[in-house]
Amino acid sequence: MNDSMSIPHLIINASGVVQIVMLILMIGSILSWVVIFQRTFVLRRARKAHRAFEDRFWSGVDLNDLYRETPAEQDTQGAEHVFRAGFREFNRLLAKTRSPQAILEGVQRSMRVAWSREEDRLSLHLVFLATVASASPYIGLFGTVWGIMGSFQSLSMAQQATLSTVAPWIAEALIATAMGLFAAIPAVIFYNRLSAESSRLLGKYEDFAEEFHSILHRNLQGRSDPGAD
Amino acid sequence: MARHDRRVGYGLPVVLAVALHLAILVASVIRFPEREIEPPSTSIVQATLVSTETTTDRAQRAEEARTRAAARQDEEEAAARAAEEDARQADAEANEAVEEAARQAATEAERQRQAEAEAREAARRAAEEEAARRAEQAEQQAREREEQAERRRQEEAERQRQAEAEAERQAEAEAERQAEAEAERQRQAEAERQRQAEAEAESQRQAEAEAERQRQAEAEAERQRQAEAEAERQRQAEEQARRERERQEAEMQRLIQESEERAANARQASEAANSFINLVRRAVEQAWVIPPNVPDGATADILVRLGPSGELFAATIEQSSGYSAFDRSAIQAVEAAAPFAELRQLPASVQRDYRQFNLRFRPGDIR
Repeated sequence: MNDSMSIPHLIINASGVVQIVMLILMIGSILSWVVIFQRTFVLRRARKAHRAFEDRFWSGVDLNDLYRETPAEQDTQGAEHVFRAGFREFNRLLAKTRSPQAILEGVQRSMRVAWSREEDRLSLHLVFLATVASASPYIGLFGTVWGIMGSFQSLSMAQQATLSTVAPWIAEALIATAMGLFAAIPAVIFYNRLSAESSRLLGKYEDFAEEFHSILHRNLQGRSDPGAD
Repeated sequence: MARHDRRVGYGLPVVLAVALHLAILVASVIRFPEREIEPPSTSIVQATLVSTETTTDRAQRAEEARTRAAARQDEEEAAARAAEEDARQADAEANEAVEEAARQAATEAERQRQAEAEAREAARRAAEEEAARRAEQAEQQAREREEQAERRRQEEAERQRQAEAEAERQAEAEAERQAEAEAERQRQAEAERQRQAEAEAESQRQAEAEAERQRQAEAEAERQRQAEAEAERQRQAEEQARRERERQEAEMQRLIQESEERAANARQASEAANSFINLVRRAVEQAWVIPPNVPDGATADILVRLGPSGELFAATIEQSSGYSAFDRSAIQAVEAAAPFAELRQLPASVQRDYRQFNLRFRPGDIR
């Protein structure tokens, strides 16, 4: 009895559908943990990079120098990406038009695009976490219901319905629900945490974009003759 | 500017996730059997027999007796083996000794016989030599004497001649006659003496030979007697050893049988007693209605006295739990479960021990 009620024994002796459900849940759990670890590392690095960039930006460095120091467009991330997109657009438009309104609009648009790309990058795979968090309890429940159905079917054929004939079936059916919850609970917790983290970062990027926009606006307003500084 | 290799790969996260799952799996596999081992307390009521010291003691004693008997048996077997070995050895030794003695006796006898023969031979030779020597001596003496006599005779003759010369005519004839007679007498005496010496030597030789023979015969007889006595002693020793061995074996057999019997009796008694106690306990458990609101730690000891056929004489509170309702329920349980007719199925030897026992009532861990 002890041996037959151990978890590995129950998993191996479960019916096919329940085993498939458990396999799906196991894969979902592993993938959700991969996402959790990967997103945690990404967000931590993004936070560090943003802090370093802000320190650099507000240290009074010349914006042209800052622009030259930053690498190419594809390699930049976060606020740096936003800054670079905005400053490049600013430089390009400054050479073509004299209307500050048009320049600022172009810069704003370009920065919004960069911000949107950053949002996309930060919230990558978080949807998968949300999916696992919401779907795996249902998948586990399906496995449990299927297993209990099987147990009742076999019970109808048994001569005597004692607890010991029903118990293994129900135990193995309940394992599916347990695994669903096992996959869903970390996914829910880390989805909330990671999405809060990424939205806070995105808010910081937005703030930075506004501040940069206002700096460019001030430059355009304070200058009589059009020309880069 | 800050580092630009900011792309986070998926290798490390995958490794971490898989390691995490494996750790959880291993933990669940390892911990679960341990948790399963905990015995589920299915017994709702724990009514335990307290005065089973006698039974447990008895069982222990039986067990001890059994082990002791086994040990003793082993020991005895070893002792018997040793004794047997010893006896065999002694036997062999005795046999060997006997053989040795026989061999020795034989060689001794042989030697004796040889020595005897030699001695006899030597004696004979010695006697002969002695006789020859004696004879020679006698002869020599005789010769000497003869010579002396001759000399004397010559001197005599000289004297006679001188006397003759002095008194030739006086007593020539007489002197001659006398001298002749004298010589004759002397000769006769000489012969007589010689004969006597010879006879003496002969008798002496005979006596010596006789004595020698007697001595040898005596020694022989003595030796034979000694050998016989030795053999007799050995035989007796052997006999005694065998008797001793037999006695030991018999003793051992008896001890083994006794201990086995004792162990079997004890085992039977303890088994029967255990089954009886279990029956009583089960019956009382089934009849027990635990009153509500009794704390977990409450225990009550009830002294139960039974009649010879298992009917209940008295159930009294030995040690109260402090809750009168609880004590009452315990007594009622005993009264409801009585009579315990199974008592009569117990062996007569232990029936008396189970006419009186304690039951400890303790509510199980039901909530």
